[in-house]
Amino acid sequence: MTDPSPAVLDVRDISISFGGLKAVQGFSLRIPPRALYGLIGPNGAGKTTCFNLLTGVYRPDSGTVALDGQRLNGRKPHQIAAAGLSRTFQNIRLFGDLSVFDNVRLGCHLRGSHSISGTVLRTSYHVGQERAIAERTFALLELFGLAGRSFEQARNLPYGDQRRLEIARALATEPKVLLLDEPAAGMNPQEKVELRALIRDVRDRFGLAILLIEHDMGVVMNLCEHITVLNFGETIATGSPEAVQNDPKVVEAYLGTE
Amino acid sequence: MKTLINQARALSPAAWSVIPRALWPVAAGLAVAVLMHAVVGPNVPGFTAKMMLVAGINIILAVSLTVVNGFTGQFSMGHAGFMAVGGYVAASITYYGSIKFFGSADFAGGALSWTGSGPHGGGPLGKGDLLFMGSCLVGGLAAAGAGYIVGLPSLRLRGDYLAIVTLGFGEIVRVLLQGTPDQVQPWRAAEAAETPWYSLMLKLGGPKGFNLLPTYTTLFWVYLFVTITLIVCYRLKNSSTGRAFLSIREDEIASQAMGVDVTRYKVRAFVIASFFAGTAGGLYAMDIGAISASDLGFLKSFECIIMVVLGGMGSISGATLAAIILTALPEILRELPPVWPAGLALLAVMAVVQGAHRRWHPRSLVVVAAVTLVAELGRRYCASQGINLAEYRMILYALLLIVMMISRPQGLLGVREVWEIFGRRARRPGAVASPPGASSGVSP
Ligand SMILES: Nc1ncnc2c1ncn2[C@@H]1O[C@H](COP(=O)(O)OP(=O)(O)OP(=O)(O)O)[C@@H](O)[C@H]1O
Ligand SMILES: [Mg+2]
Repeated sequence: MTDPSPAVLDVRDISISFGGLKAVQGFSLRIPPRALYGLIGPNGAGKTTCFNLLTGVYRPDSGTVALDGQRLNGRKPHQIAAAGLSRTFQNIRLFGDLSVFDNVRLGCHLRGSHSISGTVLRTSYHVGQERAIAERTFALLELFGLAGRSFEQARNLPYGDQRRLEIARALATEPKVLLLDEPAAGMNPQEKVELRALIRDVRDRFGLAILLIEHDMGVVMNLCEHITVLNFGETIATGSPEAVQNDPKVVEAYLGTE
Repeated sequence: MKTLINQARALSPAAWSVIPRALWPVAAGLAVAVLMHAVVGPNVPGFTAKMMLVAGINIILAVSLTVVNGFTGQFSMGHAGFMAVGGYVAASITYYGSIKFFGSADFAGGALSWTGSGPHGGGPLGKGDLLFMGSCLVGGLAAAGAGYIVGLPSLRLRGDYLAIVTLGFGEIVRVLLQGTPDQVQPWRAAEAAETPWYSLMLKLGGPKGFNLLPTYTTLFWVYLFVTITLIVCYRLKNSSTGRAFLSIREDEIASQAMGVDVTRYKVRAFVIASFFAGTAGGLYAMDIGAISASDLGFLKSFECIIMVVLGGMGSISGATLAAIILTALPEILRELPPVWPAGLALLAVMAVVQGAHRRWHPRSLVVVAAVTLVAELGRRYCASQGINLAEYRMILYALLLIVMMISRPQGLLGVREVWEIFGRRARRPGAVASPPGASSGVSP
């Protein structure tokens, strides 16, 4: 299995069952650097579970995950984030009581060094770091059009802004691969169009690979270079958007669940 | 891409410029402490001064518990246990240290810790003060160590385990302390001087308590520690570390996904809180001149929890206010003046504020009105029956807690500080020099 193009994220044959339910079976995916990949499937297909397996929320029963050549199996979620895998959540998980600004500042936490003594004594390094974090945060918020809302509580943002704030927070951790779980859910058509441009822009600007789960076919087909389709935990198709769209198994999976 | 650490170095101010920033808490602490000791203390009735001292110790306890229960959202129920650990260690070092070093357990401090009658002849500090301060700090470290040992295993588990384990810890500490051998009395100082340290230090008086300690704690020492505690906790809150604490409370899964080592930060918060509880224990012991494990059981922990819950889960100024109010409450309850004027005033203020912000919370108004009515009726009934409400204060606390949990689970102030009630200032922190759009921070 030698491959000339190195994959930044290399998932091989991961599976997990919950009791008798085989939520994900033999899922494999190789994402090259700077790629935009999609993961689709009917409700309950196991897409979110895949993300949870990659990010260490669940441990796979079998299979391996490697990021940039480092094996991620058995690592804790925060170690996986440190390795360079970040994500957003389908059911938005912002820090609701904290400000928009603090949500993104928390994302910057990972790349800093934080000693209690430095914090308490406000050492030169600590002050510089807080400044650097504030600068990065403002730049990110500006990019996402959220700078004007910096000091509002995250829970008070409109839905679309909350989704974008989650992406900004994930980017603050400086990932190599970004996992987006239904970023367009709950957005209006205008916002969806903007989101498409934003996701592309993020990929180009930060030079990272993106894997996104999405139900909105307009977004997926337009954005993704490569799509994997899950149904009942199994990968039923994988390939370019056109190929996947015309795959009879995919058509059946989607029609079958209607 | 420029790493955050490199960018931080580039933005760091010159090392000397931060020296004042590092030192001003100590200066502020000293100033407040001197003010309390020299100006406030002598000019209020002795009883009031005593209450202020107790309030100060309670502030340290409440604010430190806020770091765990408020910031990280973990529920510790054993704060008094850490206070006991710190208090006994400090008491033991001060008492036996005095005997070993100075030949007797008598007071050997300067004017700043003089609590006897009449003026103190000597200078502001004496050799005893050093021993006392050192022992409070060692007491804090011992409590922090206990916090580490208790926290490390239990904080890995789900939230509720911490409540159970800390509850158990508090009781274990109490039982262990009550099983210690009799203390070596001051008049047997000569004999104590012969006994080796390790066996001496553990003679903590058992069920009779550890008594006849030299009393060093004055308004000066208490408010020195109060100021430092407040500043340390406030700086923690407004830093990366503090945001990590708060993020755990807000959403542990998201916090982990963003790279926060949740267990490590929970343990950090727990150790910091235990440290301050330990120093509070030392101040407490050397105030009364005695420390008894039976006074530092669950009820004391419960009092600390009420202060945190009342003040706001995560508000340092809220916890401070709550500590002051709850310290004064038993005295106020002893002869309760009519409460309806205060209730009406509060209602009026709330109505004006809510009106000005066009954010109406009718429920909050109804709750305040109802509580005022019930309290006033209760007060009249108790007054007519000659009941002293102070004796029932634990019941009142429990009622208060229930009302709070139902009507305002985040506490009076929530995570905000008093000065942030009307919204946080939209201020760009860290004095960012370049316009953010032009900064080089994010784009590669
Ligand atoms: N922790 C768990 N315990 C038991 N079952 C689970 C757990 N997590 C997920 N499942 C089950 O695994 C299956 C896949 O769920 P998953 O959330 O991955 O679906 P999905 O593809 O993301 O669906 P949707 O499009 O609705 O978000 C579902 O049947 C779900 O009930
Ligand atoms: Mg899902």
